[in-house]
Amino acid sequence: MNTWVKVARYNLMMSANYLVLPLILPFSFAVGAVTVGRSGHNAAGYLLSFVIYFAMLGMQTIGRSLPFGLTLGASRRSFYFGTALLGMALALVSGLVLTALQAIERATDGWGLSMRFFRVPYLLNGPWYATWLTSVVGLFALFVYGMWYGIGYNRWGLLGTLAFIAVQALVVVAGVVVVHFEHWHVWSAAGGSFAGLTALGLTGVIAALAVLLLVGGHATIRRATV
Amino acid sequence: MTPAISCAGLTRRYRDHTALDDINVAISGGTITGLLGRNGAGKTTLLRIMAGQEFPTAGSVRVLGAPPAENEAVLRRLVFVREDQAYPDLKVGQALRAASWFYPNWDRALASALLDDFGLRAHKAVKKLSRGQRSALGITIGLAARAEVTLFDEPYAGLDAVARQVFYDRLLADFAEFPRTVLLSTHLIDEAAAMFEGVIVLDRGRVVLDAAADDLRGAATRVSGPCLAVEALAAGRPVWERRRLGSQASIVMVGPLSADDREQARSSGLDLTPLSLQQIVVQASTGVLAPADEASSETERTSA
Repeated sequence: MNTWVKVARYNLMMSANYLVLPLILPFSFAVGAVTVGRSGHNAAGYLLSFVIYFAMLGMQTIGRSLPFGLTLGASRRSFYFGTALLGMALALVSGLVLTALQAIERATDGWGLSMRFFRVPYLLNGPWYATWLTSVVGLFALFVYGMWYGIGYNRWGLLGTLAFIAVQALVVVAGVVVVHFEHWHVWSAAGGSFAGLTALGLTGVIAALAVLLLVGGHATIRRATV
Repeated sequence: MTPAISCAGLTRRYRDHTALDDINVAISGGTITGLLGRNGAGKTTLLRIMAGQEFPTAGSVRVLGAPPAENEAVLRRLVFVREDQAYPDLKVGQALRAASWFYPNWDRALASALLDDFGLRAHKAVKKLSRGQRSALGITIGLAARAEVTLFDEPYAGLDAVARQVFYDRLLADFAEFPRTVLLSTHLIDEAAAMFEGVIVLDRGRVVLDAAADDLRGAATRVSGPCLAVEALAAGRPVWERRRLGSQASIVMVGPLSADDREQARSSGLDLTPLSLQQIVVQASTGVLAPADEASSETERTSA
């Protein structure tokens, strides 16, 4: 058995973490269905809880499984990519579930309530393959992002994690400033904007981001100690 | 022959202290070696570096001929049982099953026999185990993995005397059948002394003693009795410790005792007590042996 697969199976032994996944959906769906009248017919925001849990799962795999994983003789590299492999498998299956539920939602005109839960405007609102691809890429990116937080906490503790968040905030602010600056000069001249990006185009951007996160996480775990 | 484990100039500095300072050791394959020293001497740091869980600041370590860090060809032939092992939310049986996937020589029958010996139940959650039971789980993994290099760091913290004896017996029995390189860090020196072929003593990050255990047995003797007689016997020999109370003296004398020495001691009314390994380690840790070269040459002299 390949070491990556062994690591993925080892992580899956902490089954309680992963059993929460299928429980989140009906719970947030129920909340969405109950409040659908009050909050308009768009309850897609509740889907966020499911999505965010992916980041938490990624974080937990490092904090809880890494020390014993290394004791079992896995290298940091194998542990990292084996865990990411598990994240990818979970994202693939979850993406299928979301796509299937979206198809049902379409067929039943929003579960008979005219509710939008699995049809997230703009992002998850296209053909089934686009929904599947976008959700898989997005969930995987969040899982890897969570892993990176876990690794950062392992290496630098709470202060380091806060610094990590601060640096990201700075990058985002800098990005916004640059985009605005560009907007005045080049952006509008090129007729470009994020609104011009299709959902699939955005999926491509997220996929590129996921690769960056994967590389960053790997660079961070290489010197992690337990 | 290439040693199973070797360290050259191994140093690990943390911000405010040096945990390991220029460690040079070579451990032969197929031996059981004791890694001894006081708390904070650097034993755990050394073992963690050997297991690839920590990185040295300077110097190098080779296990089975290659650096262990991130080297799975080495890591799957090495098992490290540590006192403070953190486990995820697993049951005992799951921890063992995971270990069986990673270690090619895993012996399932030995693992279940050890569970029985230690009274561990497979379906019990690891987080609900007592300290001693967690130690027993670590020992079970360490022995059943049957790894070519087996590193134990204080493996029996919290274990009762019976369970410790189970560990010694099982280790020796399995070692006889499947020889491997075992490095065992412990504070219960006299208990484990009979197993050791070699002894490495660390103190404040430095090797203060690195010798064959046989050379150390009888290497030093406590001589007690009338001052003049004690001094006469010890004349010209290295002495580690001197105590005097009135006309009585007690010294620790290094070197073998000949039949003439014993006869002289008997006729002078001197009491001779060979130092146990634990007492020698205590002496080494109090600095009388440093540096290591001197210590090993002393032991060579005594064995000659």
